[in-house]
Amino acid sequence: MEPILELSGLTKVYPGGLKALDDVDLTIRKGEIFALLGPNGAGKTTLIGAVCGLVRPSGGTIRAFGHDLASDWRKARARIGLVPQELSTDMFEPVKRAVSYSRGLFGLPPDPARIEEILRSLSLWEKRDERIMALSGGMKRRVLIAKALAHEPDLLFLDEPTAGVDVELRKGMWAIIDQMRARGVTIILTTHYIEEAEEMADRVGVIRNGQIIAVDEKDALMAKLGRTEAHIALAESMQTLPPAIAQFPVEIEQDGMSLCYRGGDGTGRGKAEVADLTKALTHAGIDYVGIETRESSLEDIFVSLLGEEAQ
Amino acid sequence: MIAWRSTWSIYKRELLRFLRTAFQSVLAPVLTTTLYFIVFGAAIGGRMPDLGGVGYGAFIIPGLLMLTLLGETTSNSSFGIYMPRFTGTIYELLSAPVGVAETLIGFVGAAMTKSLILAAIILATARFFVDYSIAYPLLAVLYIMLVAAAFSLFGFILGIWADNFEKLGIIPMLFLTPLTFLGGTFYSIDMLPAPWDMIALANPIVYLVSGLRWTFYGSSDVDIWVSFGITLAFLAACIAVIAYIFKTGWRLRA
Repeated sequence: MEPILELSGLTKVYPGGLKALDDVDLTIRKGEIFALLGPNGAGKTTLIGAVCGLVRPSGGTIRAFGHDLASDWRKARARIGLVPQELSTDMFEPVKRAVSYSRGLFGLPPDPARIEEILRSLSLWEKRDERIMALSGGMKRRVLIAKALAHEPDLLFLDEPTAGVDVELRKGMWAIIDQMRARGVTIILTTHYIEEAEEMADRVGVIRNGQIIAVDEKDALMAKLGRTEAHIALAESMQTLPPAIAQFPVEIEQDGMSLCYRGGDGTGRGKAEVADLTKALTHAGIDYVGIETRESSLEDIFVSLLGEEAQ
Repeated sequence: MIAWRSTWSIYKRELLRFLRTAFQSVLAPVLTTTLYFIVFGAAIGGRMPDLGGVGYGAFIIPGLLMLTLLGETTSNSSFGIYMPRFTGTIYELLSAPVGVAETLIGFVGAAMTKSLILAAIILATARFFVDYSIAYPLLAVLYIMLVAAAFSLFGFILGIWADNFEKLGIIPMLFLTPLTFLGGTFYSIDMLPAPWDMIALANPIVYLVSGLRWTFYGSSDVDIWVSFGITLAFLAACIAVIAYIFKTGWRLRA
């Protein structure tokens, strides 16, 4: 797919020596939802800031829509939207005026019909004349999204879009992101909620200490790094594994009263192997009283990736 | 090329912010100026001799105008850029396809407009207390615009430099107001004994007050073109500093 954003060797060293971005190479494809995951201080917001003009890169290049952001920033920025992590907006301003201002700031002519459409899609139309300070936290975040959409960007950065938002609103926000994707907007989101990335993203990138340590299709990443875990409760204690069972990736646990299987690759191979294991147990005359299986989530993969890198 | 729609959006928003606080923005300086006219114009002014052929009440009008103009223009402009930095809303400006020209024309233009409105209101207020005429009205408007532009830019720099509210207020309070008081607002430099008449010339505000007074009455302590020259030099210096700020991203971009 056509690249919409290309980061090459992007580096940011803050005064004081903190290296927030360390030679980052990343390509974002048109129309995708890309989730950038990473612990606090990993460099997610710095990366967004570098693309959006809030942070001055120390090295590397950024190309958006084929324009070099260092020399041709006006054309590129006109097509990029940003929803910041903090609820930063003029709280005294009425909703509609704030959104209209954002459109004008990006050089577009007034378009009341378009503003109405955006506000309606975010369930803000009824609140259009209210001051932003009078809105709830979730509504304020929607206003920030409306402001970012006012100039009809092709690439939208959502920095922790559901931070501090309750479960119901979070799901509402996912629906909004889905609508944007349907309109063809490319979305890069950072999040602490792995569930969010799992739900929304086409591709996932993991950043740690300013370095991208993994980038892949979400499904491919889960297939590559995913695992199946099964706990088989035995009817009688077992101290050693018979050869027929030892060929599986199993361990004895709970003083021989349980077997733990860890294997597979996230494609479902693990489940099939657990079925084979149970057949082998029956064939070997080993009785069991319960089986509990679970597939590893993106969160498990994320945690294990960070753990491996730390080592 | 300047993105005029973006510029207009910034300008309009800043003016709306001014209207939102119109009571404080307009009434406070008008009230202060009125008090000056009552005390120095009506109460004390009647006992003062004419200065350069101008009654004392009329003599202080340009100085009072300058006093308000410098204070209000600087604070309007500094708040205009400081508040987005303080609240974090500056992200929107920095991520938009706008550069130094759009930002300056928007913010500084709005601050200038507010100052010109204030100047008109103050002159109208003065009319209630003293009779005066303006010898060179076009030159006076031009000079007021020039000073408003220069101090809007100065305020803009102040708003970027300040990292807390104390710093934001310290320059107008500790430097601008005292220098304006000592800059010939209420007296002519000629009235000062030596060597203070010479020392006073080191105060840049003297040239501003004097310049405006010349446009009103055709005479002043300093040659009008020296005043124009110093104002233009200050304007150019402010533009150079702001160009440097935008080029380096100092206090704007991390």
